[in-house]
Amino acid sequence: MRDVPARLPPLIRSGRISAWADRHIDWLLVAPAVLLILALSIYPLAYSLWVSFVNYDFLVPGHAFVGLGNFAQVVADPVARWALLTTVLLAAANVATEFALGLVLALAMDRQFRGRSAVMSLLIVPLFISPVIVGQFWSLLLQRPFGPVNYVLGALLGHPVNINWLSEKPWNFIALVLADVWQWTPFVFVILLAGLTSLPREPYEAAEVDGVNAWQAFRYITMPQMGPMVMLAITFRLLDATKLFDTIFMMTGGGPGTSTYTASFYLYQIGFVQFHLSAATAGSWMFLILTAIAISFLVRRLLRVETV
Amino acid sequence: MRRNGRERDFSQELSSEIDAWLRGDTSRRGALARLLGAGALAAAPLLHPRSAAAAWRAAAPHYATLVQQAKADLASPDTPLGRAQAEAVRASTEGPKDGSAYRAVEAAKKLKGATLNMTYESGLQALEPRNFSGPLWQDLTGINSTVVELSHPDQYSKPIAEHIAQSGAYDILDIEPAWIPSLADGGVIAPIDDYVAKHMNQADLDDYHPLYKFLPTYKGKRWGFFDDGDVFALYYRRDVFDDPKLQAAYKAKFNQELRPPTSWPEYDRIAQFITDQMAPKIYGAAHFRKAGSPGNQFDFLQHFRANGGKFFDPTTMKAQLNTPIGVRTLQEMVAANKASMPGNNDLDAVALWAAWLQGKVAMMYSWPPTGRMSENYAQRDKAINFVPASTIAGKVGYTLVPGNPEMASGYVKALAADSQNAEAAYLFMQWTTCPATSLVRVMLPYTLRDPYRLSHYTSPLYRSLWPSAKEYLVNLSNSANVSVVDLVMPGAQDYALTIDRMCTSVWAGEDPAAALAKADAEWDAVTAKVGVASQRAAYEQFMKLPGAYADHTIKTLGMAVTLS
Repeated sequence: MRDVPARLPPLIRSGRISAWADRHIDWLLVAPAVLLILALSIYPLAYSLWVSFVNYDFLVPGHAFVGLGNFAQVVADPVARWALLTTVLLAAANVATEFALGLVLALAMDRQFRGRSAVMSLLIVPLFISPVIVGQFWSLLLQRPFGPVNYVLGALLGHPVNINWLSEKPWNFIALVLADVWQWTPFVFVILLAGLTSLPREPYEAAEVDGVNAWQAFRYITMPQMGPMVMLAITFRLLDATKLFDTIFMMTGGGPGTSTYTASFYLYQIGFVQFHLSAATAGSWMFLILTAIAISFLVRRLLRVETV
Repeated sequence: MRRNGRERDFSQELSSEIDAWLRGDTSRRGALARLLGAGALAAAPLLHPRSAAAAWRAAAPHYATLVQQAKADLASPDTPLGRAQAEAVRASTEGPKDGSAYRAVEAAKKLKGATLNMTYESGLQALEPRNFSGPLWQDLTGINSTVVELSHPDQYSKPIAEHIAQSGAYDILDIEPAWIPSLADGGVIAPIDDYVAKHMNQADLDDYHPLYKFLPTYKGKRWGFFDDGDVFALYYRRDVFDDPKLQAAYKAKFNQELRPPTSWPEYDRIAQFITDQMAPKIYGAAHFRKAGSPGNQFDFLQHFRANGGKFFDPTTMKAQLNTPIGVRTLQEMVAANKASMPGNNDLDAVALWAAWLQGKVAMMYSWPPTGRMSENYAQRDKAINFVPASTIAGKVGYTLVPGNPEMASGYVKALAADSQNAEAAYLFMQWTTCPATSLVRVMLPYTLRDPYRLSHYTSPLYRSLWPSAKEYLVNLSNSANVSVVDLVMPGAQDYALTIDRMCTSVWAGEDPAAALAKADAEWDAVTAKVGVASQRAAYEQFMKLPGAYADHTIKTLGMAVTLS
């Protein structure tokens, strides 16, 4: 570090300012990044913490300190509790289905065949579409009476199909999982395929010599080696799945009733539709802490798998 | 001269072709084919604004300079809309000198160079200030305008966010009357009484339908100018209701005449009867019931009050939804859903219009654009191209929604409290809502502004737009006479959200009483949050508003407007 000032131009080296700059050059270099982080991350975070402990509600004048009142309000709200449960259920259903389908697709694509590149390209197209567009797309497909899905199902089954995909349980949940799986299975597939193609061939050759069948090779060779990739895919997807908002907004509007409210949708509603900002902020903090605990657990598992 | 004569003859023929097409007498393709056959050059005046301006110069040389400069989208001067536009320009430039339009323009000229930022609902609503009032105002006064397009919920939330940030981002806000108490108490909007006294011809206030005259008032002050008569009306298929076979079958079954319903049980009965008789070709009714679509809250609010329901106990401010009246209301709405077309509960307002215009539904209630679109009075190639062309033009009748129709949302032009150009903003509000200018705006085929002034309902120009336009306008006025208004109180957004949640959960199978109990609890929580005492005071204010309840409408107060 002491060599750095020596390399500065003579003009800057001269004078008291340059002498000061010479002494603090390390801080000066870091300062822009630190200021940016303070302005864009730390300050908003600290501000939101303050908001969660005061009244910051458009309907109620003033910013009186309310202690844990905002947190208590969210905890006492049955809609919030239901939204959290829905988030967990939808995230689990989405990620589990995406993992299963992504694994099947990765295994199927882990070989050379004619047209493989074209199939690969087609498979990953949904990844590049905005989730809002995906929500609108599935909404148009499933909406009664104009959406074509019921019509096609009716034609296939030979009798009229009248499913309320967007406004009746459990079909609305199935519709949401369908849309999410359609978009995000390719993500899991790409990660798992990358893992599969990087596996060494020697263990399989040895196993073949020992007369191991395909299932045994998959069970005892492929899956253990794929552990880090599986954890990586699941962790990334869970991180995203717990924030599910766009497709809910476009497809069900959280309904019927509040049945498809997720945590993100709930926080959006109370924050930016009802403008109860302090309650929304308190809820966001609680959700952040819960998510952080779950994700920390997964990341620790992921790191442990990698170091084994 | 011969050339001018030929152009005039052509122009008249062209107008009649376009009018016929708008009325639905001829197909769009046929009309266009004849237009092209007659010569594309001569057709240009109606197809291109610049050429329309040329036609204006020929027909109205008095305004030649202004029109030459105008970037506004002006219709041909020999159409009803073009004539209304000419009248608006005349009122703004020549007077009467004590008219609100003239006074606003003259005062605004002194503020030349200002720029006004105004919020508008994104899409069709925003086309009006972009194409017409914004450019024309700029030409008249030298004041620029910027249209900020927002989704409907954002029209409430963004001004609040900007007010909290004290950004002064907006000058004029397009808001629902129901939001006035929240926005006024929160300091987001400013009262305009002083400006009204200074600049406005007070007689123009009396030109509002009485329902709309009072809506922008709160705590004794005026918080804007009403600007969109969003009253629900019942639209029905005359060919279905007049069908002799259907009439005979109905008479045989119910020993009553088949007629547009006047009560909700009759509505359910007729809807079910028509569905039973005519589905899948035509269904008895359809509604916009999708979650988050505002149909649920508006339908429940009008139906509940028509059945005699009251929202709160005025003493304790406890919610009163979970009552036998509430249960009955939801049961009747569920019966209506069952009698409706498949997918009724997934429909939003646009999907409902699509079904209606395709002739799949025998009756529906919704906002006033329904009547205009039914008669194909819309510019599908420019704007309203997301709904199909009407197949039912000339077959639609108009009547009151059973009981009391909802004045569902509506718009008020309000002055942003943080505006840096408050006077210029006010003057635009006065000018754009004055009788002459607002008549043009509610006649524009591609936007969604609806008649609200007495002079709109009686305008010969509007009444000439299609054969039954007069009946349409009279029905809108009659509907306003007995209309109930949205819950105009602080927390209106929260109360409305609860209604939507309650309704959709009932459509999905929840027991009405249980859903109502939950809704009561949510309403009580909102009331407690805002403050019981302050909400009690606000509710007292609300109950004084004409249209607060079925026993407190414009008609029951003796202020009904009677039109011939």
